[in-house]
Amino acid sequence: MSSEPLLQVRNLTTQFFTEEGTVRAVDGISFDVYEGEIAGIVGESGAGKSVAAQSIVRLVEEPGEIVDGEVYFKGEPIVEFEEDDDGDLAPTDAMLTNEEMRRNIRGREIAIIFQDPMESLNPVYTVGGQLREFIEINREVGTSEAKAIAVDMLREVGIPDPESRYDEYPHQFSGGMRQRVLIAMALACEPSLIIADEPTTALDVTVEAQILELVDELQEKYGTSFIWVTHDMGVVAEICDRVNVMYLGEVVEQAEVDDLFHDSHHPYTEALLASLPRPDQTVEELNPIEGVMPEAINPPSGCRFHPRCPEAREVCARIHPDNRDVSEAGERTHRAACFRNDAFDVGYDESPPLEMTAGSGFSAGLTGETDAEAESGGEAE
Amino acid sequence: MGIGRYTIRRILQTIPVLVGIVTITFFLTDAIPGDPVQIMLGPSPSARDIELVRAKYGLDKPLWVRYINYLADVSPIWLWPKATFPFVELQTGVDLGKSIYYSVPVTQKIMERLPVTLLLVASAFVFAIVTAIPLGVLSAKRRNKPTDHVARVVSLIGVSTPSFWIGLMLIIVFAYHLDVLPATGLILPWANPAEVSGAENRIHILMLSFIHLIMPTITLGTLQMAAITRIERSSMLENLSEEYVRLARAYGVRERTILRKHAFRPAQLPIITIIGLNLTAALGGSVLTEVVFNINGMGRLIITAINNQDYPLVMGTTIYYGMVFVIGVIVTDISYAYIDPRVSYGEAEA
Ligand code: SF4
Repeated sequence: MSSEPLLQVRNLTTQFFTEEGTVRAVDGISFDVYEGEIAGIVGESGAGKSVAAQSIVRLVEEPGEIVDGEVYFKGEPIVEFEEDDDGDLAPTDAMLTNEEMRRNIRGREIAIIFQDPMESLNPVYTVGGQLREFIEINREVGTSEAKAIAVDMLREVGIPDPESRYDEYPHQFSGGMRQRVLIAMALACEPSLIIADEPTTALDVTVEAQILELVDELQEKYGTSFIWVTHDMGVVAEICDRVNVMYLGEVVEQAEVDDLFHDSHHPYTEALLASLPRPDQTVEELNPIEGVMPEAINPPSGCRFHPRCPEAREVCARIHPDNRDVSEAGERTHRAACFRNDAFDVGYDESPPLEMTAGSGFSAGLTGETDAEAESGGEAE
Repeated sequence: MGIGRYTIRRILQTIPVLVGIVTITFFLTDAIPGDPVQIMLGPSPSARDIELVRAKYGLDKPLWVRYINYLADVSPIWLWPKATFPFVELQTGVDLGKSIYYSVPVTQKIMERLPVTLLLVASAFVFAIVTAIPLGVLSAKRRNKPTDHVARVVSLIGVSTPSFWIGLMLIIVFAYHLDVLPATGLILPWANPAEVSGAENRIHILMLSFIHLIMPTITLGTLQMAAITRIERSSMLENLSEEYVRLARAYGVRERTILRKHAFRPAQLPIITIIGLNLTAALGGSVLTEVVFNINGMGRLIITAINNQDYPLVMGTTIYYGMVFVIGVIVTDISYAYIDPRVSYGEAEA
């Protein structure tokens, strides 16, 4: 792994200013993406993964706004904030302008694959035309050359008979084929980084497996870095090199994929892993994560996971754990935001256990306490 | 299926619709209370006169015979049975009968009035489309900015003001007080200069025609303009938040190109529907404008026909409107297919 990360995200904060209040969708996340790796961002829907992905290319839509943090891509400040004379945070002068973002970064350096392949292609233009347009914009080539690249790329992603399918419309493609087109689109612009925002969620499992295999193959061939956003730990295991687990706008655990799977340091990650279906389980034995993730508009005090955490103690509701390195000496870096780890010194072990709030705890399958729901909303004692 | 075959299929599908229109028109007209012969002959006519007129217009025959005859007359092609070889006789041409009130063929009367209405409606819609589409796009682009607010207030006033009131106000201001525009009549641009007073050559005719068109155009077009502006705005806004527009943005497409290409074309589908329907309605519904400006178009013709129980004329004009409607729907569908490839390929979108 090269020393300088391709993409550095520091304390990135994106908020949505709605009528109900400020939604802290992305609340100070930090992570790196190195050249040639696939970095995963995993978490339940509503964790802020997609907003994080959009923030990196500064495509957050109203009423959302990036309010703090830094994003450096190849050393260029995509996002950079500093305090102005009044002590308010403001973008620095060095931060890339919207025009620079459009011309130099979007598509050309960082491409995006969206979640819904059915909605991502314009229904009134041909698939080839759309592909060609983006190639023309992002590479210094003329129309005929762009078309040749597009056809080659369609063949590369496994679309049979690309010359004739080039002139067809999106509705003539299946969901899986459209996602292949979108992957072709991203790769054809030859970016250094591709952000894939839940690209396989809308597809069925067999198609998903094919797409993941294809991406794995092409990633190796082109050496492009990926940020792979997903809610599915299975997908993470399949293609990611490193993982960032997000919960309610924060990164709660961060590690190499093997370390995370074999030795997770955060109860939320454990719950995500436990919810994965295994071949030896029947449907009844599946372990979904119980409870609904609270709103990012009014996150719980202390550790944001504490109302749902089976390991929560009294201290968890009071103090907010930061995301720090919890690896033993000599191990690879492994960051987690949970007081159970020795790296924290807040008296977790002495703290009394926290009763779970009704309806928001884990299922019996996870905790072994069927009566957890019966005990009404007792907070810390 | 290509767009050509789609077009042919849509045209063939209209034949049963047109037969249905003729049938319903025929029986409905017959069901209108009152007797045209009575209206024609005035109070207390002699029994013999009534007989004669009935026979002259074929009203003495049974209803179903009249229906078959009428159907044969209005069909461009009809085959009558015959006793000798080849056992059928061909009847061609469209004959809508003779107007009782005007005593001229219905077709002639329609041909006389139709160009006037077409000119008026075309002028009003060109005015509406040319102003409304840029206004709607601009309004969507500058959402919630002053331009948008002004456009929205103007279009709200436009859709809620009755057209005849606009017409009357225009007449009061521009014809009566300022005396800059003529209050009545319409001059066709292709009219013969010799027959129009105050015109010596083609240039004069064109100018007169234009001047006469201004107020009726605004009267008839304002509602359309307002309606199209509103739909264009909301359709553009909807498309600007579509995933494919976000994707175009994520690939560094210029905001201008997104507005003019990526969002604009798919946003025109509802516009085509509304223009198609309103245009069709306007071809029959320009009555108010025609009355206010004293223009002899189709709208006034049908009113005259109904007031005088002129059976052939009522049927003729109704069939005309039926045809206009059918053609309007077909043209709308074909334009739809042209813009949205999903339509002509006949595939249901998931
Ligand atoms: S800090 Fe406490 S509540 Fe949060 S995850 Fe760790 S044990 Fe659970």
